[in-house]
Amino acid sequence: MSSPATGRSLGLLVCLECRSTVRNARHLAAPRCPRCFTRLHERKPHSLAITTVLIVSAALLYVPANLLPVMTTRTILDDEQDTIMSGVLELLHSGSWPIALLVFIASIVVPLLKILALAVLLYSAWRRESRLRLQRSELYRLVEFIGRWSMLDIYAVSFLATLVQVKSFANIIVGWGAWSFGAVVVLTLIATRTFDERLLWDAPARG
Amino acid sequence: MSMVMVCPACDLAHRRAAPPLQGRTECVRCRAPLQRPESRPVETAIALAICALVLLVLSNAYPLVEMHVNGATRDTTLVGAAWGMYQQHYPTLAALVLLTTVIAPLVQIIALLYLLIPLWRGRRARGQSAMFRVLMWVRRWSFMEVFMLGSLVALVRLSSYTHVIPGVSLWSCALLMIGLSALTTVSSPEQFWAWAEKCPR
Repeated sequence: MSSPATGRSLGLLVCLECRSTVRNARHLAAPRCPRCFTRLHERKPHSLAITTVLIVSAALLYVPANLLPVMTTRTILDDEQDTIMSGVLELLHSGSWPIALLVFIASIVVPLLKILALAVLLYSAWRRESRLRLQRSELYRLVEFIGRWSMLDIYAVSFLATLVQVKSFANIIVGWGAWSFGAVVVLTLIATRTFDERLLWDAPARG
Repeated sequence: MSMVMVCPACDLAHRRAAPPLQGRTECVRCRAPLQRPESRPVETAIALAICALVLLVLSNAYPLVEMHVNGATRDTTLVGAAWGMYQQHYPTLAALVLLTTVIAPLVQIIALLYLLIPLWRGRRARGQSAMFRVLMWVRRWSFMEVFMLGSLVALVRLSSYTHVIPGVSLWSCALLMIGLSALTTVSSPEQFWAWAEKCPR
C-alpha cells in the first residue's frame, strides 16, 4: 500500500492555532504562521520526552492527591479529615448518589484515565504502532475533551473552604491533598497539549 | 490561499473544499473535525460577547450562595472562592481558581470584542495576531462550566448540614456558561480569520 499524501510528504505545515496551511520553507530556522504568527513545527518539538516527564510527575503526585486529606472539617467536637474517596462515600451515604457518581468520575476516574491513556498513547507513538490508529486517535480526543472536568473537586473544595468559616461552629481547612490534586490536573492538561497526536499516524519505522 | 489543507490531528492532506454551512466536516482518516462553518455574521459574535460580558459582571457582583448557620450569615462570590484558598495559604491553588473562573473568561470576552469591533467597522485591530493567540490561550483555561458543576457539588454537600440559598450570581453563572460555549462555537478560529481576511487593512 502506498503511503497517503501528508503535510510532511508535501512539505506543508499546518498552524495549530488558526489552521492555515503554509509551505515549509526549509531555509528558515523557525518558521511562523503568516496569519497569526504562531511558531510552526512539522511536529511539536520534543513531544514524547516532554509529555513523558509530565505524565510521570502527574502519576507520582496522584498518590498524595488520593492519600492526603483534601480538606479537614474542624468542629467543636472533632476534626474530620476528608480524602477525595471519603468525600465521594459521604455523598453516597447522604443519599445523593448522582452527585457521588459525578464526583467519582470527575475526580477519580478521569485523572487516572488521563494518565493511563496518555501513557498508552506515548508508548504506541514511540513504537510507531500501525494498528488501531483510529481508536488511539479517538482516545486522545476523549482525553482532550474530558481533561478539564477533573477540576471539579478543586472548585468544590475552594467553595466549601470559603463558605464554612463560622467561628465556634465549623471551619473547613484545605489540605495538601487538594494541592497535589490540582497539580495532577494541571500537569495532565499540559501533557495533553504537549503530546503531538500526529505522531500516532506517522509511518512505521520499518516496512 | 493554498489549494491543499492539512489535517492538524493526523497530517493527512485534503483538497480544500468550501466550508460547510452548518455542522462540520471530518478528516477522512482520523475523523478529527476539519472544517467548521465560516459564513456567520460578525454581529452574532459581538452580540453574544456583549451578552456574556454583562453576565460576567453580574456573576462577579453578587454572591453565589448564602448560608445561614447559628444566626450568622455567610456568603461568597466568585472571586471570594479564590480568595478563600489564598487565605488558607494555598496561593498556587488560589491563582489556578482565579485564572480559570475569573481572569480567563474575562480576557476571553474582552479580547474577542477587541478583535471583532474593529472588523465589524471594516478595519483590523492593532496587534491582531498577538491578540488572537492570547484569545486561543485563555480559551483553553476558561473552565466556567466545570466551576458551575463544582459549586453544585459543594451546595449538595452543605445542604445536608445547613440551610443554603442560591444567589443571583449562581443563575447568571449558569447562563454565562451557556453564553461562553456559544461564543466559542460562533467564533471558531477558522471563522475569525474568515472575517479578518475580508478586511483589507
